[in-house]
Amino acid sequence: MSSSNKKTQRQRNKTSFISPRRILIIAQSTVTQLVRMKVFYFLAPIAAVFVGIQFFDAPWYAGPEASQPQQELQMHKNLCLGTMMLFSSLFAIVSTALLIPRDIEDRTLYTILCKPVPRLDYLVGKLLGVMAVVFIALAVMDMILVITLHFRTGAVLADVEPYLQKLGWPQELVDEKLDEISAHGPTMTLQYGVLAYFFKASVIAAVALLISTFSTSTLFTIASSVMIWMIGAAQNIARQGLFEQGGLAEDSGPIAKILATLVSLLFPDFQIFDSVAEAATRAANISSDQILQLGGFTLFYLGIYTVLSWFVFSDKEF
Amino acid sequence: MSDIPAVEVSGLVKDFQISLRGPKLRAVDNVSIRIEPGEVYGMIGPNGSGKSTTMKALLGLVKPTAGTCSIFGKDSLKVDSRNDVGFLPENPYFYKHLTGAETIKFYGKLCGMRGAKLKHRIDEMLNLVGLDDARNRTLKGYSKGMLQRIGLAQALVQDPRLVILDEPTAGVDPSGSRKIRDLILELKNRGMTVFLCSHLLEQVQEVCDRVGIINHGKMVRQGKLDDLIALEDRTEIVLENASPELLDQIRTLVDITYGVDMVSEGNPRTTLENLFLKETKPRRTVTKKRRKRTNS
Repeated sequence: MSSSNKKTQRQRNKTSFISPRRILIIAQSTVTQLVRMKVFYFLAPIAAVFVGIQFFDAPWYAGPEASQPQQELQMHKNLCLGTMMLFSSLFAIVSTALLIPRDIEDRTLYTILCKPVPRLDYLVGKLLGVMAVVFIALAVMDMILVITLHFRTGAVLADVEPYLQKLGWPQELVDEKLDEISAHGPTMTLQYGVLAYFFKASVIAAVALLISTFSTSTLFTIASSVMIWMIGAAQNIARQGLFEQGGLAEDSGPIAKILATLVSLLFPDFQIFDSVAEAATRAANISSDQILQLGGFTLFYLGIYTVLSWFVFSDKEF
Repeated sequence: MSDIPAVEVSGLVKDFQISLRGPKLRAVDNVSIRIEPGEVYGMIGPNGSGKSTTMKALLGLVKPTAGTCSIFGKDSLKVDSRNDVGFLPENPYFYKHLTGAETIKFYGKLCGMRGAKLKHRIDEMLNLVGLDDARNRTLKGYSKGMLQRIGLAQALVQDPRLVILDEPTAGVDPSGSRKIRDLILELKNRGMTVFLCSHLLEQVQEVCDRVGIINHGKMVRQGKLDDLIALEDRTEIVLENASPELLDQIRTLVDITYGVDMVSEGNPRTTLENLFLKETKPRRTVTKKRRKRTNS
């Protein structure tokens, strides 16, 4: 046997437990699939919404004479980030829910799993593919947001500065006010807000991935994922009301606490992501440590849901 | 040649839980198959007889309730076993957004191929299945026959030693079906092991060395095709230049008649189709009512 044949034979004999290369191939294919399904077409109406917001004033905005002219920018960010959050979360659910059941229905999965592809590679590849598309979509929307917000900030500053000067404010105070307004423009804090929503959409995609491994229909996967998304959004409030000081279950003892821990493990607290995005809208200070913590929290949930998905999927029969 | 068979299915049993409380359905009942390297094995059986489940168990897509399956000595449930196997499912659907060349590239990459070797293999495979002209067309525009052929190309991309074909000609027109049959013969000539499952008995008869007939989950007949289709209670004598009058006295006269040569003697053959119909004919079940009537 020649050396090249021996090498091929060796390669054939060994299939690694998990292969980043194979995961990347499946992720790339998922991105291509979603791109060719023309999912990015929705970006056109969203861009139109973002640009359209430019032309609407907040109902409470009283022009340059308003005591808080930055509220105008806050409204702009609120609407845009809200749209981005809604879109990225729904997109993560729908695309994940569509991809795996469709592969099973079309028997495409047979041909993939009959190649030397461990099931974990397939799951992680699909999840990363969806996350990549969500990331690209959020990046495009973020770019549009930054451009529109930049112009709007410029317009507010151009309104406020001469007005304050006309009122006879000392230049120092005017500059201070202008800095305050500029902090509500396209800053790094805003980018942290967008990143928080990307993390949130990734965790939601991982939830949908888990459900799609045992669900028998796309509709069930979508409905259940949306339900978990909502539970996750309200979890913090419910936990405070039920288990924390002054709550209904304050006297329930350790069982209530275990229950609370279980709920928080199974249903991620999406309020954590939302609070970072809210801080970004308010132009509050967000430290890089906070973002790192949020990233760690995201990885933790991605890990939990992926391992659970793998447990279910590894025994699944087709 | 090594003693390791290309395929070894031993006492395979597969039960499916149909409903939560109901009894289990036995799809495959103690099936054993051994396919030697280089052999073309055909498995035939009516719909729902357990053919596809056996194939899926061999590919690790379903877990056996009992028994084992191995490919070139490797347990089918292990991913490693799939390095040596290519599979074409019945009515395959691939990613319709990919072109023919992209499809083969995708599956080639999954098998660890890359670079010039993969590029060369894509060209080779498209040429083998006759889809050179359609390489840049998305699969959306492929006919059923073309999809079967691209399916065969993806199954062969990593140059496996075994190829499993589940109804490779299902829904394909006669010309497309003939092309696929020729491809199977080509694989056979290359020394590849083929495990084929088809309803087209004529085709199975044309290409297979050994055949197994499965019915109600059980292997009812299995063996060399020539042996299986031989009618053992009859003898066939093939004569050359024999007159009609001679036929009556043939047995006694053949040895002494001048100018008549005995070409061959053996069992005449039935067709695989007849054998299949005989073996899979539903057996009459005596109902309780009828049994009562008979007793009275």
